[in-house]
Amino acid sequence: MAMLEVQNISKSFGGLRAMSDVSLNIEKGEIVSVIGPNGAGKTTLFNLITGVYTPDTGDIKFEGKSIAGKKPNQIVDIGIARTFQNLRLFMNLTILENVLVSQHHKLNSNWLSAVLRTPGYRAQEKAMREYAVEKLAFFGPRLQSFRLHQPVYVLSYANRRRTEMARAMATGAKLLLLDEPSAGMNPKETREITQIIRRMRDQGGYTILLVEHKMNLVGEISDRVVVLDYGQKIAEGSYQDVVNDPKVIEAYLGKKAEDSEETEVQKAAKMDGRTI
Amino acid sequence: MAVSSRLDQNPQIVERTKTLAFQQNRGRNLLLTLGAGLVFILLLWFFTGLGSAKLTQALALFAIWGVATVSLNLINGTLGILSLGHHGFMLIGGYTTALLILPDDARQRILDSGRSAMTETTVGLSISNLFNAIGLGGLTGDDTLWLRFLLALFAGGLMAALAGLIVGIPSLRLRGDYLAIVTFGFGEIIRLSASTRIFAPLTNGALGFAGVPSDFGKSVWWTFGILAFTLFIISKLKYSSYGRAMESIREDEIASEAMGVNLAYHKVLGFVISAFFAGVAGGLWVSWLGNARLDNFLFTLTFFFLVAISAGGTGSITGVLLGTALVIFVRQYGDPLEETYAISRWLEFIGIILIIAGAAFLLYRSFNRSGKRLPDWSVWLFTANLVILLLGSPVFPAINLGKIGLYIFLIPFLVLPFLPNVGDKSKGVGWIVYALLGIGVITLLIGGISPGAGWLTGTFRGFGMRGIALAILLIVIMIFRPAGIVGRHEFSWGWLFRERLDQPTDEERKQDAWLSNPELNRAGGAAAVDTEEDA
Amino acid sequence: MAVSSVSRAKRKVNWLPWLLLLGIAVIIIGRIIYLYSLDPRFNTAFFLRAFIESVKLGSLYALIALGYTMVYGIIRLINFAHGEVFMVGAFMTYFFFTFTPYPWFISAIYAAIIAYGSMRVLEFFRGSMRDPLVLAAGGVIFIGLTVLVSSITFPFWLALICSMIFTGVLGIVIDRVAYFPLRTAPRNSLLITAIAVSFLLQNLGLLVFTNRQTPFRPDTPLIQPLQLTVGNGQVFSNWLLLAIPLITAILVVVLTLFVNRTRLGKAMRASAQDAETAQMMGVSVNKVIATTFLLGSMLAAAGGAMWGLNFGSLNQPAILGILPGIKAFSAAVIGGIGSLPGAVIGAIIIGFLENFTTAIFPKTATFQGVTEFKDTFAFILLIIVLLVRPSGIVGEDLSEKV
Repeated sequence: MAMLEVQNISKSFGGLRAMSDVSLNIEKGEIVSVIGPNGAGKTTLFNLITGVYTPDTGDIKFEGKSIAGKKPNQIVDIGIARTFQNLRLFMNLTILENVLVSQHHKLNSNWLSAVLRTPGYRAQEKAMREYAVEKLAFFGPRLQSFRLHQPVYVLSYANRRRTEMARAMATGAKLLLLDEPSAGMNPKETREITQIIRRMRDQGGYTILLVEHKMNLVGEISDRVVVLDYGQKIAEGSYQDVVNDPKVIEAYLGKKAEDSEETEVQKAAKMDGRTI
Repeated sequence: MAVSSRLDQNPQIVERTKTLAFQQNRGRNLLLTLGAGLVFILLLWFFTGLGSAKLTQALALFAIWGVATVSLNLINGTLGILSLGHHGFMLIGGYTTALLILPDDARQRILDSGRSAMTETTVGLSISNLFNAIGLGGLTGDDTLWLRFLLALFAGGLMAALAGLIVGIPSLRLRGDYLAIVTFGFGEIIRLSASTRIFAPLTNGALGFAGVPSDFGKSVWWTFGILAFTLFIISKLKYSSYGRAMESIREDEIASEAMGVNLAYHKVLGFVISAFFAGVAGGLWVSWLGNARLDNFLFTLTFFFLVAISAGGTGSITGVLLGTALVIFVRQYGDPLEETYAISRWLEFIGIILIIAGAAFLLYRSFNRSGKRLPDWSVWLFTANLVILLLGSPVFPAINLGKIGLYIFLIPFLVLPFLPNVGDKSKGVGWIVYALLGIGVITLLIGGISPGAGWLTGTFRGFGMRGIALAILLIVIMIFRPAGIVGRHEFSWGWLFRERLDQPTDEERKQDAWLSNPELNRAGGAAAVDTEEDA
Repeated sequence: MAVSSVSRAKRKVNWLPWLLLLGIAVIIIGRIIYLYSLDPRFNTAFFLRAFIESVKLGSLYALIALGYTMVYGIIRLINFAHGEVFMVGAFMTYFFFTFTPYPWFISAIYAAIIAYGSMRVLEFFRGSMRDPLVLAAGGVIFIGLTVLVSSITFPFWLALICSMIFTGVLGIVIDRVAYFPLRTAPRNSLLITAIAVSFLLQNLGLLVFTNRQTPFRPDTPLIQPLQLTVGNGQVFSNWLLLAIPLITAILVVVLTLFVNRTRLGKAMRASAQDAETAQMMGVSVNKVIATTFLLGSMLAAAGGAMWGLNFGSLNQPAILGILPGIKAFSAAVIGGIGSLPGAVIGAIIIGFLENFTTAIFPKTATFQGVTEFKDTFAFILLIIVLLVRPSGIVGEDLSEKV
């Protein structure tokens, strides 16, 4: 049984068909990349898996149990966490607080115990802090010590991305969905994040599904690559296979002129999702 | 000692990271808090002993409204949900408390009056009767009134909490402005319904309850005691994991849910707890007033709370209390503003205000654009002058300044913004500011000199001036300092001892090659140059 | 218009609201028939009058609701202060027909403000304030009004027009002073500021008028009695019964024409859809916003003046604008905030809710106590609509993209 089974899910928003009959399996311990042109539905896929949207048809199973239709916070309890394409940190909270919030769902004490600071609550709070520091340590000395108490808005863009990843890790999830983790990073930082993602799987034991545009990153760490276009899966396989697949090349670059019988107008219409 | 360029490899630093602020110096802080509490009690005892009823009442009201504002800030500030129905919760709590604790002679009067909508049954809803019914008849005497009042307060809080549960439900589906309107609507519905036929048997309609025992609401010990309890619960909640979860909802609801926070639970929890304390505040409020009437629970109440929260600082409980003190001061001591004065004196007053406003604006603008700070001496001068002028102004004549004194004390305001090394003169300021100053001077002169008297000798009553003052204050705060006077800074013993956890200690600075590089580390510390990545 | 955090694609049951509507219609019609058969007082004339009265009340609310909906459409602000603008409009009208003539320097101040307002209005048609026609008109109006205000007692219609323009300028000033600095601030701050402005205006009203009621009886044919014979009954009312809906209809039509046919109107619609892009296309969004406030406040002032005529007196300033303001806002939301026809529809509904129910459930009839809740109906309906169909009757739904 695969860890995550996406079975024939479709999703429409009004007239727009964002996802058509997509299926995907992810085994425990894999790193799978989802690539595709802009607007292909990659973030929509994430939203569907994490419960932000409910699929119109199809099902999603995590460790054998159906999760379609559950709310996002329930899905975190079940063991899936994500980062966001455009960063959604809690800006006015400190780094430490950001990474602590994602552990709140694991807290066993009720609010009264928290208010009264019972020993049980205190112990959990201490454990949460240590766990938070542990996760942040993945990223080296940058997010340590006094930095922990600085609000997130003082951070550079790359540090913010790292904080968001640490925050997702701290949820205690087994499957991490990383939405463009290297966006906005220069080549050196990208190499570093590539190593970190690998370490997350190797040392941290996470299974990772990531959306990426940078092919060098994708090629280096992915066990498998899935390609989406117009809400459909058009290819799946190892990086080499996928990169040489003519359908994938066409999706990114378009067909070569002599092979194509379509007119420019038809091509443009096809891009709008209509046919002439 | 080897210099390590990597902070996470230095064991001492790792240790410091692990213990973190949460549990540092807990013993010391506890002792300090107890000590401060003792000092505060002594101060209270001293001030109440001075014999000024007005002062005692103002202090008690500060505590009562403090309970209300701190609980309102749980929703507005911590959860980030603008709630405008707090007066509704106070109404429910206040009326419940009043009904349960009203002394028997007051109840009899209600029945005798013949105009009341209350029935024998509803008039009989008192804790005394309850005690009698369950065999605690011994606890119905005057000496145990305090116990019954406490229970009545608690009951009021519970009823209000129930209402909070109901009001919290729309918060799950609505956001922002719409939720604010719905909470406002609830507040108004509660008030408007309270006088209708359905609820009048319980509330005595527009007549309300007269004769609520006021020993508790007017007592600083009761009110500050309950305030202390409120502060304890709410601050402990705010600085716990649940508080963080609530703040994360405020920051980004979608991300919060994506990180496992149950939005519904935390929002409703916030509403229920907030409403509970609002109900308690309502019970104390009716006791302070000595009666329970619908007119005492208008939206005006929530407006005062909003001013208190926004002016003080929504991010910190200390700020909210500061704001509450400000609002109480204006409300209780602002009577001189609403008296009748000669028009010429009003003109003097307006002239003073305009000059101060113009000068403040000029200084603000020129400093804001240059990025420098006001020299300390000017701030002290400004503030001292402001206080003297307020107290010696024609409207607050605590100190008799006389015309000459008035004009002398106004001089710094006219001169300060134009001094050579104050502010950045190269940046222009809008013409409107100079116009303000000019009009202020002219108005002052007209009022002060009263040329060709005539209509200048007429009188005018300043009805509503307090509200105007607070409204203008709120608008100014929203435009210039929306975070409030105090912003997000919370008072803590650590702050007093300048324990800045978000700055590296000296040892860390030495240990770290990056941090000890003087070129990269200006006064703000490494945080100020966090634009590049280190290796 | 962010309503819920994200859209959840659940199949909503479509027949429920229609069923509710049907049920309500059945109840109302049944009640009417019952009353009709009960007592000869409840005849056709009675119901006709109740019907038109409800339309009249709805028209008054519509004039206020339009201001709310227009402002919300562009800057997404619930202008709490709009109820107070309505109040100021009512009182300014009172000032103009009661206390004129004024001393010359006060006349000059009023004339200056009204001239400025007129110049802004003329700006719509001529494109710029510096246009010679606009400047000339401004000058003429200034001088003319100074003379007029200081010499004659204003008739009602002139007081109404001057008050409308004056209040329009007030709207512009409120926007410029309180809302403009907060264009980039979070929405909560803006809402709080609006509440503060509302409170400020209420207390300014208190300052000027203390807490007494003010009679509002200008000398105008509109409040002359009107008597109609319908069927076998009589309708006793005054000309306002017909005049108010008519004047409102004219104003609404003018506004709609303006918004749909003129360049500035197009700019307003563009800014309501996407202010940023409109700005990039050369639209001066700030001027559009100021215009919106001008128009909305003018309508509210008209509503205020006619409100005074209708009820014969004005409540104290601190109270007058509160309930109508919040009911008009409810109307705007119920109809679909951001939409002009929606505001009118919503207002008519509220008018009916408030007035017609009082007619068919009078205190003397068996179902007692309902009418005491009439002020809460608007709130309750508002809350229901916000929870069930936040886009209102006419509006569109917008959710936040994740």
